[in-house]
Amino acid sequence: MRNIIIESIISEMEKNENIFFLTADMGINLVEKVEEKFPKRFANVGIAEQNLIGVASGLANLGFIPFVYTISNFVIHRCYEQIRNDIILHNNPITLIGTSTGYDNAPLGPTHHSIDDWGALRNFPGIDIYCPGSISYAKSLIKKIIDNKKPAYIRIPKGEFIKPDSDQDIVLLEGNNKSTLLITYGSPAQECIKVQEKNVDISVLVFNKLVSLDITGLKETLAGYDRLIVVEDHFASSGLYGLLCEFCNSNLIYKQLTSFAPTYYNFQVGRSSSYFHKKFGLSSEEINGKL
Amino acid sequence: MVDPKKIRKTILQMLYKAGASHLGSNMSVIEMLVAMFSSVDCHKIISGSNDRSRIFISKGHCAAGTYATMAYFNIIPFELLETYHQDDSLLTGHVSHEVIGVEHSTGALGHGLNVAVGCALGLKSKNVQDAKVLVLCGDGEIQEGSIWEGLMFAVHKKLNNLCVLIDNNRISSITMTYDVIDLRPLRSRFEGFGLNVYEVDGHNISEIQDCINKATDFSVPTVIICNTVKGKDVPFAEWQPVWHYRSLTEALYNEAVTYLDNK
Repeated sequence: MRNIIIESIISEMEKNENIFFLTADMGINLVEKVEEKFPKRFANVGIAEQNLIGVASGLANLGFIPFVYTISNFVIHRCYEQIRNDIILHNNPITLIGTSTGYDNAPLGPTHHSIDDWGALRNFPGIDIYCPGSISYAKSLIKKIIDNKKPAYIRIPKGEFIKPDSDQDIVLLEGNNKSTLLITYGSPAQECIKVQEKNVDISVLVFNKLVSLDITGLKETLAGYDRLIVVEDHFASSGLYGLLCEFCNSNLIYKQLTSFAPTYYNFQVGRSSSYFHKKFGLSSEEINGKL
Repeated sequence: MVDPKKIRKTILQMLYKAGASHLGSNMSVIEMLVAMFSSVDCHKIISGSNDRSRIFISKGHCAAGTYATMAYFNIIPFELLETYHQDDSLLTGHVSHEVIGVEHSTGALGHGLNVAVGCALGLKSKNVQDAKVLVLCGDGEIQEGSIWEGLMFAVHKKLNNLCVLIDNNRISSITMTYDVIDLRPLRSRFEGFGLNVYEVDGHNISEIQDCINKATDFSVPTVIICNTVKGKDVPFAEWQPVWHYRSLTEALYNEAVTYLDNK
Protein backbone atom coordinates (compact mmCIF):
# COMPACT_ATOMS: atom_id res chain seq x y z
CA MET A 1 0.00 0.00 0.00
CA ARG A 2 2.99 2.33 0.13
CA ASN A 3 2.62 2.99 -3.60
CA ILE A 4 -0.97 4.11 -3.03
CA ILE A 5 0.12 6.48 -0.28
CA ILE A 6 2.89 7.95 -2.46
CA GLU A 7 0.52 8.34 -5.42
CA SER A 8 -1.97 10.11 -3.17
CA ILE A 9 0.76 12.47 -2.00
CA ILE A 10 1.79 13.17 -5.60
CA SER A 11 -1.83 13.88 -6.48
CA GLU A 12 -2.11 16.36 -3.59
CA MET A 13 1.26 17.93 -4.48
CA GLU A 14 -0.14 18.68 -7.93
CA LYS A 15 -2.93 20.71 -6.35
CA ASN A 16 -1.10 22.18 -3.36
CA GLU A 17 2.29 23.86 -3.82
CA ASN A 18 2.92 23.83 -0.09
CA ILE A 19 3.35 20.08 0.20
CA PHE A 20 6.97 18.99 0.58
CA PHE A 21 8.24 15.40 0.53
CA LEU A 22 11.33 14.25 2.40
CA THR A 23 12.96 10.86 2.76
CA ALA A 24 15.83 9.52 4.82
CA ASP A 25 17.24 7.65 1.84
CA MET A 26 14.42 5.10 1.64
CA GLY A 27 11.85 4.28 -1.05
CA ILE A 28 13.69 3.01 -4.12
CA ASN A 29 11.39 2.86 -7.17
CA LEU A 30 8.83 4.92 -5.27
CA VAL A 31 10.25 8.29 -4.34
CA GLU A 32 12.05 8.96 -7.61
CA LYS A 33 8.83 10.02 -9.30
CA VAL A 34 8.18 12.56 -6.55
CA GLU A 35 11.61 14.06 -7.12
CA GLU A 36 11.17 14.02 -10.87
CA LYS A 37 7.82 15.82 -10.75
CA PHE A 38 8.60 18.23 -7.92
CA PRO A 39 12.36 18.73 -7.62
CA LYS A 40 11.97 21.89 -5.57
CA ARG A 41 9.65 20.20 -3.09
CA PHE A 42 11.63 17.03 -2.58
CA ALA A 43 14.64 16.31 -0.40
CA ASN A 44 16.56 13.18 0.47
CA VAL A 45 18.33 14.10 3.71
CA GLY A 46 20.32 10.88 3.79
CA ILE A 47 20.45 8.39 6.65
CA ALA A 48 19.90 11.11 9.22
CA GLU A 49 16.51 10.91 10.88
CA GLN A 50 17.10 13.66 13.44
CA ASN A 51 17.91 16.05 10.63
CA LEU A 52 14.89 14.73 8.70
CA ILE A 53 12.52 15.96 11.41
CA GLY A 54 14.42 19.18 12.04
CA VAL A 55 14.40 20.11 8.37
CA ALA A 56 10.69 19.24 8.12
CA SER A 57 10.06 21.56 11.08
CA GLY A 58 11.95 24.37 9.41
CA LEU A 59 9.86 23.88 6.29
CA ALA A 60 6.71 23.97 8.42
CA ASN A 61 7.91 27.33 9.80
CA LEU A 62 7.60 28.66 6.25
CA GLY A 63 4.10 27.22 5.78
CA PHE A 64 5.02 24.00 4.01
CA ILE A 65 3.15 20.76 4.75
CA PRO A 66 5.92 18.19 5.02
CA PHE A 67 5.60 14.43 4.60
CA VAL A 68 8.62 12.46 5.82
CA TYR A 69 9.24 8.87 4.76
CA THR A 70 11.36 6.02 6.05
CA ILE A 71 10.98 2.69 7.85
CA SER A 72 8.59 2.81 10.82
CA ASN A 73 11.15 2.10 13.54
CA PHE A 74 13.59 4.68 12.29
CA VAL A 75 11.06 7.47 11.80
CA ILE A 76 10.12 7.25 15.46
CA HIS A 77 12.88 5.90 17.65
CA ARG A 78 15.90 7.60 16.08
CA CYS A 79 14.35 11.04 16.22
CA TYR A 80 12.02 10.75 19.19
CA GLU A 81 13.08 14.00 20.83
CA GLN A 82 12.80 15.84 17.51
CA ILE A 83 9.21 14.55 17.19
CA ARG A 84 8.48 15.76 20.70
CA ASN A 85 10.19 19.14 20.63
CA ASP A 86 10.12 20.17 16.98
CA ILE A 87 6.81 18.71 15.85
CA ILE A 88 4.50 18.22 18.84
CA LEU A 89 5.47 21.31 20.88
CA HIS A 90 4.95 23.45 17.79
CA ASN A 91 1.88 21.59 16.51
CA ASN A 92 3.63 21.45 13.15
CA PRO A 93 1.49 19.76 10.45
CA ILE A 94 4.15 17.19 9.64
CA THR A 95 3.21 13.63 8.69
CA LEU A 96 5.56 10.80 9.56
CA ILE A 97 5.21 7.92 7.13
CA GLY A 98 6.61 4.62 8.36
CA THR A 99 6.81 1.70 6.02
CA SER A 100 6.60 -1.84 7.32
CA THR A 101 4.67 -2.73 10.41
CA GLY A 102 4.90 -5.57 12.87
CA TYR A 103 6.88 -8.44 11.37
CA ASP A 104 6.82 -7.28 7.73
CA ASN A 105 10.64 -7.38 7.78
CA ALA A 106 10.67 -10.70 9.61
CA PRO A 107 14.03 -12.21 8.62
CA LEU A 108 15.95 -8.97 9.13
CA GLY A 109 16.01 -9.31 12.90
CA PRO A 110 14.49 -7.39 15.83
CA THR A 111 16.01 -4.02 14.95
CA HIS A 112 13.64 -4.08 11.96
CA HIS A 113 10.57 -5.43 13.75
CA SER A 114 8.05 -2.57 14.19
CA ILE A 115 6.30 -3.88 17.29
CA ASP A 116 6.90 -0.84 19.47
CA ASP A 117 6.49 2.10 17.12
CA TRP A 118 3.14 3.80 17.43
CA GLY A 119 2.90 2.99 21.11
CA ALA A 120 5.81 5.32 21.71
CA LEU A 121 3.79 8.14 20.18
CA ARG A 122 0.87 7.52 22.55
CA ASN A 123 3.00 9.40 25.04
CA PHE A 124 2.40 12.62 23.12
CA PRO A 125 -0.84 14.58 22.96
CA GLY A 126 -1.77 16.06 19.62
CA ILE A 127 -0.59 13.51 17.07
CA ASP A 128 -2.99 11.33 15.07
CA ILE A 129 -1.95 7.75 14.35
CA TYR A 130 -3.16 5.73 11.38
CA CYS A 131 -2.62 2.19 10.21
CA PRO A 132 -4.44 1.88 6.87
CA GLY A 133 -5.95 -1.57 6.71
CA SER A 134 -7.12 -1.52 3.12
CA ILE A 135 -6.56 0.09 -0.26
CA SER A 136 -9.80 2.08 0.11
CA TYR A 137 -8.71 3.61 3.38
CA ALA A 138 -5.18 4.29 2.12
CA LYS A 139 -6.61 6.18 -0.88
CA SER A 140 -8.69 8.44 1.35
CA LEU A 141 -6.04 9.10 3.96
CA ILE A 142 -3.68 11.79 2.66
CA LYS A 143 -6.42 14.31 1.88
CA LYS A 144 -7.89 13.70 5.34
CA ILE A 145 -4.54 14.35 6.99
CA ILE A 146 -3.89 17.55 5.04
CA ASP A 147 -7.33 18.87 6.00
CA ASN A 148 -6.67 18.12 9.68
CA LYS A 149 -3.59 20.39 9.76
CA LYS A 150 -1.90 18.59 12.65
CA PRO A 151 0.93 16.13 13.25
CA ALA A 152 0.26 12.57 12.10
CA TYR A 153 1.91 9.17 11.83
CA ILE A 154 0.98 6.61 9.21
CA ARG A 155 2.30 3.08 9.65
CA ILE A 156 1.90 1.23 6.36
CA PRO A 157 1.62 -2.56 6.40
CA LYS A 158 3.11 -4.53 3.53
CA GLY A 159 0.50 -5.93 1.22
CA GLU A 160 -2.47 -4.83 -0.88
CA PHE A 161 -5.44 -5.45 1.40
CA ILE A 162 -8.91 -5.32 -0.13
CA LYS A 163 -10.98 -5.95 2.99
CA PRO A 164 -12.37 -4.17 4.83
CA ASP A 165 -13.33 -2.07 1.83
CA SER A 166 -14.08 1.15 3.67
CA ASP A 167 -12.78 4.66 4.25
CA GLN A 168 -14.11 4.73 7.81
CA ASP A 169 -11.71 5.08 10.72
CA ILE A 170 -13.15 2.04 12.49
CA VAL A 171 -14.97 -0.72 10.60
CA LEU A 172 -17.19 -3.37 12.17
CA LEU A 173 -17.49 -6.62 10.26
CA GLU A 174 -20.43 -8.05 12.12
CA GLY A 175 -20.71 -11.77 12.70
CA ASN A 176 -23.87 -13.69 13.40
CA ASN A 177 -23.84 -13.29 17.14
CA LYS A 178 -22.47 -11.05 19.82
CA SER A 179 -20.27 -13.59 21.49
CA THR A 180 -16.74 -12.78 20.36
CA LEU A 181 -15.24 -9.59 18.93
CA LEU A 182 -11.74 -9.65 17.49
CA ILE A 183 -10.34 -6.11 17.68
CA THR A 184 -7.42 -5.50 15.36
CA TYR A 185 -5.50 -3.40 12.81
CA GLY A 186 -2.81 -3.78 10.16
CA SER A 187 -1.65 -7.22 9.00
CA PRO A 188 -3.26 -9.17 11.87
CA ALA A 189 -6.62 -7.80 10.70
CA GLN A 190 -6.28 -9.97 7.61
CA GLU A 191 -5.79 -12.99 9.86
CA CYS A 192 -8.90 -12.05 11.86
CA ILE A 193 -10.91 -11.71 8.65
CA LYS A 194 -9.79 -15.24 7.70
CA VAL A 195 -11.05 -16.43 11.10
CA GLN A 196 -14.45 -14.87 10.35
CA GLU A 197 -14.56 -16.47 6.92
CA LYS A 198 -14.33 -19.88 8.55
CA ASN A 199 -16.55 -19.02 11.54
CA VAL A 200 -19.41 -16.67 10.72
CA ASP A 201 -20.29 -16.13 14.37
CA ILE A 202 -17.12 -14.14 14.94
CA SER A 203 -17.19 -10.34 14.58
CA VAL A 204 -14.14 -8.27 13.67
CA LEU A 205 -13.55 -4.63 14.51
CA VAL A 206 -10.81 -3.14 12.32
CA PHE A 207 -9.11 0.11 13.30
CA ASN A 208 -7.69 2.18 10.46
CA LYS A 209 -7.11 5.06 12.85
CA LEU A 210 -5.71 4.37 16.30
CA VAL A 211 -5.30 7.86 17.76
CA SER A 212 -7.32 9.90 18.30
CA LEU A 213 -10.09 7.37 18.65
CA ASP A 214 -13.33 7.86 16.79
CA ILE A 215 -15.50 7.06 19.74
CA THR A 216 -18.82 7.35 17.91
CA GLY A 217 -20.62 4.13 18.73
CA LEU A 218 -17.45 2.51 20.07
CA LYS A 219 -18.72 2.25 23.62
CA GLU A 220 -21.93 0.55 22.49
CA THR A 221 -20.05 -1.77 20.17
CA LEU A 222 -17.62 -2.96 22.83
CA ALA A 223 -20.29 -3.23 25.51
CA GLY A 224 -22.41 -5.39 23.22
CA TYR A 225 -20.01 -8.36 23.11
CA ASP A 226 -19.23 -11.04 25.68
CA ARG A 227 -15.60 -11.52 24.75
CA LEU A 228 -13.18 -8.85 23.52
CA ILE A 229 -9.88 -10.03 22.06
CA VAL A 230 -7.27 -7.53 20.83
CA VAL A 231 -5.05 -8.99 18.11
CA GLU A 232 -2.06 -6.81 17.21
CA ASP A 233 1.52 -7.00 15.98
CA HIS A 234 2.65 -4.52 18.61
CA PHE A 235 3.42 -4.72 22.31
CA ALA A 236 0.10 -4.79 24.12
CA SER A 237 0.39 -2.30 26.96
CA SER A 238 1.49 0.53 24.68
CA GLY A 239 -0.69 -0.73 21.83
CA LEU A 240 -4.39 -0.97 21.14
CA TYR A 241 -4.89 -3.33 24.07
CA GLY A 242 -3.61 -0.70 26.52
CA LEU A 243 -5.56 2.04 24.80
CA LEU A 244 -8.81 0.06 24.99
CA CYS A 245 -8.21 -0.89 28.62
CA GLU A 246 -8.21 2.82 29.36
CA PHE A 247 -11.27 3.41 27.18
CA CYS A 248 -13.27 0.60 28.74
CA ASN A 249 -12.35 1.67 32.25
CA SER A 250 -13.30 5.30 31.73
CA ASN A 251 -16.55 4.30 30.02
CA LEU A 252 -17.45 1.77 32.69
CA ILE A 253 -17.35 -1.13 30.26
CA TYR A 254 -16.50 -3.94 32.59
CA LYS A 255 -15.46 -6.64 30.16
CA GLN A 256 -12.34 -8.68 30.17
CA LEU A 257 -10.03 -7.68 27.36
CA THR A 258 -7.70 -10.42 26.17
CA SER A 259 -4.47 -9.64 24.32
CA PHE A 260 -2.88 -11.62 21.49
CA ALA A 261 0.36 -9.74 20.87
CA PRO A 262 4.14 -10.10 20.88
CA THR A 263 5.58 -9.99 24.34
CA TYR A 264 9.31 -9.83 23.69
CA TYR A 265 11.93 -9.12 21.05
CA ASN A 266 12.81 -12.25 19.16
CA PHE A 267 16.24 -13.13 17.75
CA GLN A 268 15.23 -16.23 15.79
CA VAL A 269 14.91 -15.92 12.06
CA GLY A 270 11.38 -15.96 10.74
CA ARG A 271 11.34 -16.21 6.95
CA SER A 272 8.11 -14.27 6.89
CA SER A 273 5.68 -12.60 9.26
CA SER A 274 3.74 -15.89 9.42
CA TYR A 275 6.48 -17.33 11.64
CA PHE A 276 5.96 -14.64 14.26
CA HIS A 277 2.19 -14.53 13.85
CA LYS A 278 2.19 -18.23 14.70
CA LYS A 279 4.60 -17.74 17.61
CA PHE A 280 2.54 -14.99 19.21
CA GLY A 281 -0.91 -16.31 18.39
CA LEU A 282 -1.73 -13.80 15.66
CA SER A 283 -2.32 -16.24 12.79
CA SER A 284 -5.86 -17.34 11.89
CA GLU A 285 -5.03 -20.93 12.91
CA GLU A 286 -3.69 -19.89 16.29
CA ILE A 287 -6.62 -17.56 16.93
CA ASN A 288 -9.12 -20.26 15.98
CA GLY A 289 -7.35 -22.68 18.28
CA LYS A 290 -7.82 -20.36 21.24
CA LEU A 291 -11.44 -19.43 20.63
CA MET B 1 23.73 50.85 17.62
CA VAL B 2 22.28 49.03 20.58
CA ASP B 3 24.65 49.19 23.57
CA PRO B 4 25.73 45.76 24.87
CA LYS B 5 26.43 47.24 28.29
CA LYS B 6 22.77 48.21 28.66
CA ILE B 7 21.69 44.73 27.59
CA ARG B 8 24.02 43.17 30.16
CA LYS B 9 22.62 45.35 32.94
CA THR B 10 19.10 44.37 31.93
CA ILE B 11 20.05 40.70 31.99
CA LEU B 12 21.55 41.03 35.44
CA GLN B 13 18.30 42.54 36.66
CA MET B 14 16.25 39.76 35.04
CA LEU B 15 18.41 36.95 36.40
CA TYR B 16 18.64 38.42 39.88
CA LYS B 17 14.90 39.00 40.19
CA ALA B 18 14.20 35.48 38.92
CA GLY B 19 16.94 33.75 40.88
CA ALA B 20 17.79 32.19 37.55
CA SER B 21 20.91 30.50 36.23
CA HIS B 22 22.80 30.62 32.90
CA LEU B 23 24.48 33.93 33.64
CA GLY B 24 27.74 32.86 32.00
CA SER B 25 26.02 31.59 28.82
CA ASN B 26 23.97 34.74 28.41
CA MET B 27 26.84 37.17 28.87
CA SER B 28 28.98 35.56 26.17
CA VAL B 29 26.46 36.03 23.34
CA ILE B 30 25.41 39.67 23.62
CA GLU B 31 27.52 41.12 20.83
CA MET B 32 26.57 38.15 18.64
CA LEU B 33 22.86 38.78 19.26
CA VAL B 34 23.23 42.49 18.51
CA ALA B 35 25.04 41.69 15.28
CA MET B 36 22.35 39.15 14.32
CA PHE B 37 19.36 41.36 15.00
CA SER B 38 21.10 44.28 13.28
CA SER B 39 21.49 42.14 10.18
CA VAL B 40 17.81 41.33 9.68
CA ASP B 41 14.65 43.30 9.06
CA CYS B 42 13.02 43.37 12.50
CA HIS B 43 9.83 44.92 11.13
CA LYS B 44 9.28 41.79 9.06
CA ILE B 45 9.95 39.65 12.11
CA ILE B 46 7.31 41.56 14.07
CA SER B 47 4.78 41.37 11.23
CA GLY B 48 5.54 37.69 10.57
CA SER B 49 6.07 38.26 6.87
CA ASN B 50 6.85 34.88 5.33
CA ASP B 51 9.77 36.20 3.29
CA ARG B 52 11.50 37.52 6.43
CA SER B 53 15.04 36.69 7.43
CA ARG B 54 14.97 34.41 10.43
CA ILE B 55 17.02 34.06 13.60
CA PHE B 56 17.13 30.74 15.39
CA ILE B 57 18.51 30.48 18.90
CA SER B 58 19.62 26.85 18.96
CA LYS B 59 21.48 27.53 22.22
CA GLY B 60 18.11 28.01 23.91
CA HIS B 61 19.39 28.70 27.41
CA CYS B 62 20.54 32.17 26.43
CA ALA B 63 16.88 33.11 26.70
CA ALA B 64 17.39 36.06 29.02
CA GLY B 65 19.95 37.53 26.64
CA THR B 66 17.70 36.93 23.64
CA TYR B 67 14.65 38.49 25.26
CA ALA B 68 16.65 41.48 26.51
CA THR B 69 18.20 42.03 23.09
CA MET B 70 14.79 41.77 21.41
CA ALA B 71 13.45 44.44 23.78
CA TYR B 72 16.28 46.80 22.78
CA PHE B 73 15.40 46.10 19.14
CA ASN B 74 11.75 46.97 19.91
CA ILE B 75 10.50 43.50 19.10
CA ILE B 76 9.03 42.91 22.57
CA PRO B 77 8.17 45.48 25.27
CA PHE B 78 10.55 46.08 28.20
CA GLU B 79 7.72 45.48 30.67
CA LEU B 80 7.55 41.87 29.51
CA LEU B 81 11.14 41.29 30.70
CA GLU B 82 10.01 41.78 34.28
CA THR B 83 7.97 38.61 34.00
CA TYR B 84 10.96 36.41 33.15
CA HIS B 85 10.70 33.11 35.05
CA GLN B 86 7.54 34.32 36.86
CA ASP B 87 4.28 32.36 37.17
CA ASP B 88 2.06 32.53 34.05
CA SER B 89 4.73 34.34 32.03
CA LEU B 90 5.67 33.12 28.56
CA LEU B 91 9.29 34.09 29.17
CA THR B 92 10.61 30.67 30.10
CA GLY B 93 14.26 29.94 30.81
CA HIS B 94 14.75 28.60 27.28
CA VAL B 95 13.48 30.55 24.30
CA SER B 96 9.84 30.02 23.44
CA HIS B 97 8.10 30.47 20.09
CA GLU B 98 5.11 31.73 22.06
CA VAL B 99 7.07 34.99 22.29
CA ILE B 100 7.00 37.17 19.19
CA GLY B 101 10.36 37.19 17.46
CA VAL B 102 11.32 33.68 18.56
CA GLU B 103 11.05 31.33 15.58
CA HIS B 104 11.31 28.01 17.37
CA SER B 105 11.29 26.80 20.96
CA THR B 106 14.62 25.26 21.88
CA GLY B 107 16.27 24.07 25.05
CA ALA B 108 17.37 20.57 24.22
CA LEU B 109 20.57 21.24 22.30
CA GLY B 110 21.11 20.17 18.74
CA HIS B 111 17.64 20.98 17.46
CA GLY B 112 17.55 24.61 16.37
CA LEU B 113 20.26 24.29 13.76
CA ASN B 114 18.38 21.57 11.86
CA VAL B 115 15.20 23.64 11.88
CA ALA B 116 17.24 26.58 10.56
CA VAL B 117 18.55 24.32 7.78
CA GLY B 118 14.94 23.45 6.89
CA CYS B 119 14.07 27.13 6.73
CA ALA B 120 17.02 27.85 4.49
CA LEU B 121 15.94 24.99 2.22
CA GLY B 122 12.38 26.26 2.16
CA LEU B 123 13.42 29.81 1.27
CA LYS B 124 15.42 28.45 -1.66
CA SER B 125 12.43 26.33 -2.70
CA LYS B 126 10.27 29.45 -2.72
CA ASN B 127 12.98 31.42 -4.59
CA VAL B 128 13.20 34.02 -1.84
CA GLN B 129 16.49 35.67 -2.75
CA ASP B 130 17.16 38.24 -0.09
CA ALA B 131 16.27 36.51 3.15
CA LYS B 132 18.88 34.87 5.33
CA VAL B 133 18.70 32.36 8.14
CA LEU B 134 20.98 32.98 11.13
CA VAL B 135 21.38 30.41 13.86
CA LEU B 136 23.22 30.70 17.18
CA CYS B 137 24.82 27.52 18.55
CA GLY B 138 26.98 26.82 21.56
CA ASP B 139 30.45 25.27 21.39
CA GLY B 140 29.32 22.47 23.70
CA GLU B 141 26.20 22.05 21.60
CA ILE B 142 28.27 21.03 18.58
CA GLN B 143 29.01 17.77 20.38
CA GLU B 144 25.46 16.74 19.40
CA GLY B 145 25.54 14.54 16.30
CA SER B 146 22.43 16.15 14.88
CA ILE B 147 24.44 19.36 14.36
CA TRP B 148 26.71 17.59 11.89
CA GLU B 149 23.76 15.92 10.16
CA GLY B 150 22.39 19.39 9.55
CA LEU B 151 25.69 20.88 8.39
CA MET B 152 26.41 18.01 5.97
CA PHE B 153 23.00 18.40 4.40
CA ALA B 154 23.22 22.20 4.24
CA VAL B 155 26.57 22.02 2.43
CA HIS B 156 25.33 19.37 0.02
CA LYS B 157 22.28 21.47 -0.84
CA LYS B 158 24.43 24.63 -1.10
CA LEU B 159 22.28 26.55 1.38
CA ASN B 160 24.39 29.69 1.24
CA ASN B 161 21.52 31.65 2.79
CA LEU B 162 22.35 29.91 6.08
CA CYS B 163 24.84 31.41 8.53
CA VAL B 164 25.74 29.56 11.73
CA LEU B 165 27.29 31.51 14.60
CA ILE B 166 29.15 29.49 17.22
CA ASP B 167 29.43 30.98 20.70
CA ASN B 168 32.92 29.63 21.32
CA ASN B 169 33.12 30.53 25.01
CA ARG B 170 35.12 27.34 25.59
CA ILE B 171 33.29 26.31 28.76
CA SER B 172 30.42 23.83 28.88
CA SER B 173 28.56 22.93 32.04
CA ILE B 174 31.32 21.36 34.11
CA THR B 175 34.69 22.31 32.67
CA MET B 176 36.44 23.57 29.55
CA THR B 177 34.69 22.27 26.46
CA TYR B 178 37.91 20.93 24.99
CA ASP B 179 38.53 18.83 28.13
CA VAL B 180 35.25 17.03 27.46
CA ILE B 181 35.61 16.53 23.71
CA ASP B 182 38.52 18.29 22.03
CA LEU B 183 37.35 19.46 18.60
CA ARG B 184 40.18 21.93 18.11
CA PRO B 185 41.02 23.37 15.74
CA LEU B 186 37.35 24.20 15.16
CA ARG B 187 38.07 26.04 11.97
CA SER B 188 39.43 23.02 10.13
CA ARG B 189 36.63 20.82 11.53
CA PHE B 190 34.06 22.97 9.84
CA GLU B 191 36.17 23.49 6.71
CA GLY B 192 36.52 19.72 6.47
CA PHE B 193 32.74 19.53 6.24
CA GLY B 194 32.81 21.92 3.30
CA LEU B 195 31.68 25.08 5.05
CA ASN B 196 32.93 28.59 4.57
CA VAL B 197 34.44 29.56 7.92
CA TYR B 198 35.30 32.82 9.64
CA GLU B 199 36.86 33.13 13.07
CA VAL B 200 36.37 36.43 14.86
CA ASP B 201 36.45 38.23 18.18
CA GLY B 202 32.97 37.32 19.40
CA HIS B 203 32.65 40.62 21.27
CA ASN B 204 33.29 42.80 18.21
CA ILE B 205 29.90 43.57 16.73
CA SER B 206 31.09 45.06 13.46
CA GLU B 207 33.46 42.17 12.80
CA ILE B 208 30.57 39.71 13.22
CA GLN B 209 28.23 41.83 11.10
CA ASP B 210 30.81 42.03 8.35
CA CYS B 211 31.01 38.23 8.18
CA ILE B 212 27.21 37.87 8.14
CA ASN B 213 27.02 40.33 5.24
CA LYS B 214 29.72 38.52 3.25
CA ALA B 215 28.23 35.05 3.85
CA THR B 216 25.97 35.03 0.80
CA ASP B 217 28.96 35.67 -1.48
CA PHE B 218 29.86 32.03 -1.13
CA SER B 219 28.16 28.99 -2.60
CA VAL B 220 28.03 27.09 0.69
CA PRO B 221 26.74 27.91 4.18
CA THR B 222 28.95 29.97 6.47
CA VAL B 223 30.07 29.27 10.02
CA ILE B 224 31.30 32.18 12.11
CA ILE B 225 33.35 30.97 15.07
CA CYS B 226 32.90 33.74 17.61
CA ASN B 227 35.60 33.55 20.28
CA THR B 228 33.90 34.76 23.42
CA VAL B 229 34.28 34.90 27.17
CA LYS B 230 31.72 33.04 29.25
CA GLY B 231 30.41 35.53 31.79
CA LYS B 232 31.82 38.47 29.83
CA ASP B 233 31.94 41.75 31.79
CA VAL B 234 30.91 40.12 35.06
CA PRO B 235 34.41 39.78 36.59
CA PHE B 236 33.60 37.16 39.24
CA ALA B 237 31.87 35.01 36.57
CA GLU B 238 34.33 35.27 33.70
CA TRP B 239 35.88 31.90 32.77
CA GLN B 240 34.15 30.22 35.74
CA PRO B 241 32.25 27.03 34.83
CA VAL B 242 30.13 27.24 37.99
CA TRP B 243 28.48 30.37 36.61
CA HIS B 244 26.74 28.22 34.06
CA TYR B 245 24.38 27.30 36.93
CA ARG B 246 24.90 29.68 39.84
CA SER B 247 22.37 32.42 40.55
CA LEU B 248 23.07 35.92 41.83
CA THR B 249 22.95 37.00 45.46
CA GLU B 250 22.06 40.61 46.22
CA ALA B 251 25.69 41.40 46.95
CA LEU B 252 26.96 39.87 43.73
CA TYR B 253 24.21 41.55 41.71
CA ASN B 254 25.24 44.94 43.10
CA GLU B 255 28.89 44.19 42.47
CA ALA B 256 28.17 43.26 38.85
CA VAL B 257 26.03 46.33 38.19
CA THR B 258 28.62 48.65 39.75
CA TYR B 259 31.32 47.18 37.52
CA LEU B 260 29.26 47.83 34.38
CA ASP B 261 28.38 51.36 35.51
CA ASN B 262 32.06 52.17 35.92
CA LYS B 263 33.22 50.43 32.75
